[in-house]
Amino acid sequence: MPTQVLNQYSAPHPEALDALHPRLDALEEKSGARALAVAVYDTETRATFQHHADRWFHAASTIKVAILLGVYASIHHGWLLPHSRLHVRNRFFSAVDGSPFRVMPDRDANAEVHAATGKMMRISDLALHMIATSSNLATNLLLDLVGLDTVQRSLDELGIDGIDIRRGVEDERAFEHGISNRVTANGLASLLRLIAEERAFTPELSREMLDILHAQEFKNGIPARLPRAVRVAHKTGEISTIAHDAGVVYPPDRKPYVLAILSEWSPDGSGRSATIAEVSHAVYELLTPSPEVPRG
Amino acid sequence: MGEAYRFPLAIVDGLRLDKPLRDALLPGRIVYDAAGRARRLPRYFYEIPSWEQARNLQLSPSFALWEFIQTDVREAAPLRAFPRYVPCAITMLALCLERLRVALGTFIHIAANGGYRSPRHAFSMNATPHSWGTAVNVYRIGDVYLDDREAIERYAAVARGVLPGAWTRPYGTQRGETDDHLHIDFGYALLLPRDVPDDHLGFDAERRAS
Repeated sequence: MPTQVLNQYSAPHPEALDALHPRLDALEEKSGARALAVAVYDTETRATFQHHADRWFHAASTIKVAILLGVYASIHHGWLLPHSRLHVRNRFFSAVDGSPFRVMPDRDANAEVHAATGKMMRISDLALHMIATSSNLATNLLLDLVGLDTVQRSLDELGIDGIDIRRGVEDERAFEHGISNRVTANGLASLLRLIAEERAFTPELSREMLDILHAQEFKNGIPARLPRAVRVAHKTGEISTIAHDAGVVYPPDRKPYVLAILSEWSPDGSGRSATIAEVSHAVYELLTPSPEVPRG
Repeated sequence: MGEAYRFPLAIVDGLRLDKPLRDALLPGRIVYDAAGRARRLPRYFYEIPSWEQARNLQLSPSFALWEFIQTDVREAAPLRAFPRYVPCAITMLALCLERLRVALGTFIHIAANGGYRSPRHAFSMNATPHSWGTAVNVYRIGDVYLDDREAIERYAAVARGVLPGAWTRPYGTQRGETDDHLHIDFGYALLLPRDVPDDHLGFDAERRAS
């Protein structure tokens, strides 16, 4: 009887990822991206890969992963419960001068939270909307509740560099004054690694965060060119000149790897999602070589 | 609701509640409004045993008790669980709102944190009539969201016309103003049902409890 080794991937050599550098350089040139940064951490081989991974980018919606961490820090400390209810109110204050601003519904991908204005929603539901459909209103509500300090302190206490949170989203006045949230590929990868390895507060809370990241509905980045059996827990981020995707990739029959892809573009640049999907596919190919041929 | 009808909620003396509740409700205590004026908080409360009772108890034809007690995570923790407590004036507030409801001919939606909230609620920086059960924040009337000057000022004028003595917060974005709801209140009124003891100002009991 032949030995059953089907579906067993051969572990890639830790240096296999080095082959990515020239591919990324070529892709960056071909795509017209102003900048492309990638960080990988493979939990199976502990291999790492970094391509401009300490370059700072505008965080766009990837900052919501850090806010998710801040919310769970508050839950961990007992200040909040996942089923605690929060008043949905569309009124926030600029990080520049405290002037009020609102999240305009036509600039928000999620309508459900706006529809709850005046009512209450559970913290866990708001966290889900913040990540899965990138609700800007849910994001600002949660950040307003837990506070910038809690988020940044949580990052600092967990030893995560490369994520700099300075304000909520849609704060145009702050944007005009150059106050924006920033991330590096290494920063996002470090945070996601911590969550993936269930070291963010407790294994249970880490799994809850992963469940939320698994609910991501925007799949035209990292997951787009991966086999259907591959699950991805991730968060996208896109504004006029930015396109990011960062997450944890779970190939079947293999431990997951963490991947952060950050890119900057001219305002009229096209092919952003396709570029992220191509980088993700290239990383997947290198980390999950073809199955070994069964021995007879 | 004939002669046999009795209001189903028991009245409790806040000074005789457990300490965590007393610390949150501050029954009969003096607090100060934004202008520095001393205001004495309610001492007597209706006790609401369960959410189901809050859902089912109509204070007026259009308003049920639950609409006045929706507070979020910013409310003091002991007051987020049942039994919950609400100042006795809440019944009169409901009747006033009913009058406005009839005048408007459409639904009035009370915002979360916009009915009764305790003096320990995170929004209760100074004495606010919300802690007396005499104030509401309305975020929607019929299909109209009250989130701009035109809507807020129009309905504020109606409220003041229909409800003698009512105060509405002016439109604006500064402290003491509102730009996303209509605030209506009747000041720091205390309502003392006939059953409560005559030492309602609470001086003796307060001394005993302290």
